[in-house]
Amino acid sequence: MNELLTVAGLAIDVLTREGPRALVRDVGFRLNRGEALGLVGESGSGKTLTCRALVRLLPSACRVVAGKVTLSGAGDLLAMDERALTEVRGRRVAMIFQNPTSHLDPVMRIGEQIAEGLILHQGLDRSVARRRSIELLDEVGIADPAHTVDAWPHQLSGGMRQRAMIAAALACEPDLLIADEPTTALDVTIQAQIIDLLRRLRGTHGLAVILVSHDLALVGDFCERVAVMRAGRIVEAGETAAILAHPRHPYTRELIGSQPRLVPPGHYFPVSGAPAERAPRVKLGGGAPLLEVADLVVTFQRPRRVLDLVRRRPATYVRAVDRVGFALASGDALGIVGESGSGKSTLARAIVGLVTPSAGAIRLVGDERETPRYRRVQMIFQDPLSALNPRLSVAQTLTEPLIVHRLCRRAEVATRVAALMAEVGLDPALAHRRPRQLSGGQCQRVGIARALALSPAILIADEPTSALDVTIQAQILNLLIRLRAERQLALILISHDLEVVRRVCERVIVMRHGRVVEEGPAERIFAAPQAGYTRELLAAIPGTRGFSGGTPLAWQGVA
Amino acid sequence: MERFRFLIWRPVQMLPVLLGVTLVTFVLVRSLPGDPVRVLLGPRARPEMIAATRHQFGLDEPLPVQYLFFLKNLLAGDLGRSIMYRAPVFEVIAERLAPTFLLIAYALVLSILLATTFATLAARNEGRFADHLVRGFCTAGLGLPGFWLGILLIMLLSVRLGWFPVSGYGETWLGHLHHLFLPALTVAIALAPVLTRNLRATLIEQMGADHAQAARSRGLTEGEVFRRHVVPNALLPTVNLLGVNLGWLIGGTVVIESVFSIPGLGQLMVASIFTRDYMLVQGITLVFALTIVAVNLTVDVLTVALDPRVVL
Amino acid sequence: MTEATAADRPAAAHVELPPMLLAGTALLGLWIVVAIGADWLAPYGPLEQDLSRTLQGPSAAHWLGTDNYGRDVLSRILHGARLDLQIAVLGVLFPFLIGNLIGLLAGYLGGWTDIVAMRLLEVTMAFPFLVLVIAIIAVLGPGLGSLYVALALVGWVSYARLTRAQVLVLKSADFVSAARVMGLGAWRVMWRHLLPNAVTPAVVFAMTDAVLVVLLGSALSYLGLGAQPPAAEWGVMIAEGQQFLASAWWICLFPGLAIVSLAMGFSLLADGLAERLGTRP
Repeated sequence: MNELLTVAGLAIDVLTREGPRALVRDVGFRLNRGEALGLVGESGSGKTLTCRALVRLLPSACRVVAGKVTLSGAGDLLAMDERALTEVRGRRVAMIFQNPTSHLDPVMRIGEQIAEGLILHQGLDRSVARRRSIELLDEVGIADPAHTVDAWPHQLSGGMRQRAMIAAALACEPDLLIADEPTTALDVTIQAQIIDLLRRLRGTHGLAVILVSHDLALVGDFCERVAVMRAGRIVEAGETAAILAHPRHPYTRELIGSQPRLVPPGHYFPVSGAPAERAPRVKLGGGAPLLEVADLVVTFQRPRRVLDLVRRRPATYVRAVDRVGFALASGDALGIVGESGSGKSTLARAIVGLVTPSAGAIRLVGDERETPRYRRVQMIFQDPLSALNPRLSVAQTLTEPLIVHRLCRRAEVATRVAALMAEVGLDPALAHRRPRQLSGGQCQRVGIARALALSPAILIADEPTSALDVTIQAQILNLLIRLRAERQLALILISHDLEVVRRVCERVIVMRHGRVVEEGPAERIFAAPQAGYTRELLAAIPGTRGFSGGTPLAWQGVA
Repeated sequence: MERFRFLIWRPVQMLPVLLGVTLVTFVLVRSLPGDPVRVLLGPRARPEMIAATRHQFGLDEPLPVQYLFFLKNLLAGDLGRSIMYRAPVFEVIAERLAPTFLLIAYALVLSILLATTFATLAARNEGRFADHLVRGFCTAGLGLPGFWLGILLIMLLSVRLGWFPVSGYGETWLGHLHHLFLPALTVAIALAPVLTRNLRATLIEQMGADHAQAARSRGLTEGEVFRRHVVPNALLPTVNLLGVNLGWLIGGTVVIESVFSIPGLGQLMVASIFTRDYMLVQGITLVFALTIVAVNLTVDVLTVALDPRVVL
Repeated sequence: MTEATAADRPAAAHVELPPMLLAGTALLGLWIVVAIGADWLAPYGPLEQDLSRTLQGPSAAHWLGTDNYGRDVLSRILHGARLDLQIAVLGVLFPFLIGNLIGLLAGYLGGWTDIVAMRLLEVTMAFPFLVLVIAIIAVLGPGLGSLYVALALVGWVSYARLTRAQVLVLKSADFVSAARVMGLGAWRVMWRHLLPNAVTPAVVFAMTDAVLVVLLGSALSYLGLGAQPPAAEWGVMIAEGQQFLASAWWICLFPGLAIVSLAMGFSLLADGLAERLGTRP
């Protein structure tokens, strides 16, 4: 009776040279007016294709081959002609996207992009449409709407751009908003603000929302119902609370189990739905000192233009890292947490020597001539694919440091490479593959093996899992936990994800604008954060609703 | 207008390039083989006469001094005297300027017309017959030697059919346009494929861009998306490409002027090489280089006007 | 849970060559065979005159006719393939080597090396390409040697610009950072990690450049600045035939077609290569 949208038997193919290949099969769900449905899955699960198919905005190589999408009062959207479809898009069903920067036209003013639907399809007068745009910008929480309406997209921050996108989507008062990973590209505090805004708009506009996300915790907070997708099919669907509490499908269990917030510290992340195993204990405290960073400052000069030179304007500098200090002993695991622009990556790059500090000291204990810097500290990178030379095979990548630094005899190289691959859990058959022929998780394992080839005492991992799906993230984090114990590695884990850091590290540094905001034992920081910013960060983490209610599920499988 | 302030200091920034350009032309022409004075005066000239002529042209000074004189004269608008024409280079060039620039502009307009028509046609019918046809035209057009095409066009349209004059420049404006049509078309056929190809690729890329997809999700029709979002975003790379390729277009006119015997700078330049009239070669090279510098400045202005993100 | 890898995706059709690449290779291969075997393939010598049979149209004895000296047009075209191919190869090779070296050094070293290289590049680019080439040939005197020198002096800028831009992007790529963190020396980073990845656009452009050089070489020879008569070169042949255009069109037409087919060969190769390597020109 109150039904807004019914999807039944949706199937999507991609056309390849070898013929059509199934991407989405037999997807069906219902949505009532004002309801929120979460579509959850990892990359390649077909969740984005599914929601794009609803308004028939699929990539050109993809085809809907079967199914029905019935929108109340409009009929089957899949059977409609293009003309009738433009009446539905924007007015009945609107969309917002993951990357607000690329989804806004860079050469059109914000106000015009919001108003164009009003002018072209509702026949509104320019000045009326403009006034309406200002109202909308005000409603989505933009501080100075009368001014922002004339701004260009590049003049706004990421969060503001997403708000402007939402304003444009809501301009024609749609009944349904499809939100495709709307916060993935944003910092965690901004993400919380956008989700709050969407929640408020649901109330005031009676909007139904389909929230597409890889983040189960986020969906748990926002949606009454959830559908879990994998390999193009819905594997489980139902009330959010019920599914989170009692997942039936093994994949759903794995997805929930890999959520860092549900893993007790000192344990491996559960893989394939199995309960978390206790990780080998690491002897804490009293390790030999390895690294001391004291009052470290890294500044970048803003590019100077000729005009600045002519006018004798002094060069301006940005402090990316501002008087940061800490010490690291062997076996330590230190987490560095912060949002983008906090200087955490620059700090890491300074420690490995990629960036020259402007002041302060980085003291690596030991004699530089005996053990050069590269044998003491190594780094693994965020984007595992771009961290590997695309022209070198896995074996070549791992051989290079051994040969160049004469770490073993030529005859032994092959055995060493095989041992390294085994240590990081890489199939020996992959030795002659190039990075492009590997999965993201495999690439990251190669990156780790390459770092280990030099047997460093310290391993810096700069957002090692943020480009990976959550189940793969669990595997890579487990590998780091194991290596740390086996090799007595000192680990510096840099992440925007507090929950991840909490599970892997005993000590945490919180950074903001290049400075250390708070430092201390991980458990203390989570239990009783001192700095206001830390509290803000913790409050912004999604999952406070869906997974809350004591710790029902959290430690269930463990105890 | 804040963003156009770069126009104030751009000339300062261009100074090194301009100096470099004058230095290159100067060095090039001064290292020409053969003594132009001997060529001019003939083998039986008396030494005093040779010395006097050399002095008259300032050729007896050391090279750095000659360069400074050259710069000083340049600032006064004096490009030296043409040995063959026995007239100031400036005047000789000024006489020939109009046909060349008219040809360049004419060819430019024709290439833009051809390129925008074909690229739009191809992009909006991607993968279909019209697209394949346009792409075929591009591949073929890229490999056509302009001078040969010009000769064929003369043979067919001028000699056989008599539609166009075989050579020359004409007397009236209409006559100019009539005379220059075939040469301009020849140059345009060489340039249009490059432009079409890139414009087509840009249009297709922009049609698939996220912001176009977002516009569709707001209910805009394909035509509205194309007009309002795709074209404005495709304009910028095209203008830049046009700027880069104008150098080629100018080069093309040099050859084509010789084919069609148009009394312009290109033909004059090739002729001066064989008569070793190096002041003239120098002057023409400079004029062409200054044209490019001016074109680049125009492209900068257009870039800033078309793209709000760009700050120069 | 297994992840999808690129190898599983439909793009695995890597072995399959784009048809354009095949067509381009075939066309070029044909001309290379002709250039090598011109002595056996050509019915007459390229300079062999027969003043009793001048300006004759295509016939069984002279498939493509004869010119004003009674030379066989077909034989001259076949022998001309040698010169025109040589122009294409040498006219691209020198700028390619010089430009890539300068681009690599300027991009990686930065600082003064970069400033000097960029000023040089800007000055060179301030001239219309052909005008500067002609001016340099004027200094050195018309001829093929001068043509190569001029092309090397002017043509390097395109390669330097492309490669420098690539190097600047790749310099901050994670895999280059990783190489530096591993303690590899500057030369090793440049040769093994930067250059092989940075050179792709330059290689694709080299094919497009070959098209331009073929056209340019024949145009300059046509103007009398490149290959000199009586050499069998296609541009020279067109220039010599132009005055007999009205009565003996074949002298001009066929060498032009030869230029078109050679240029198309490179053009198709460039397109196919760009498609194969995934870099649109």
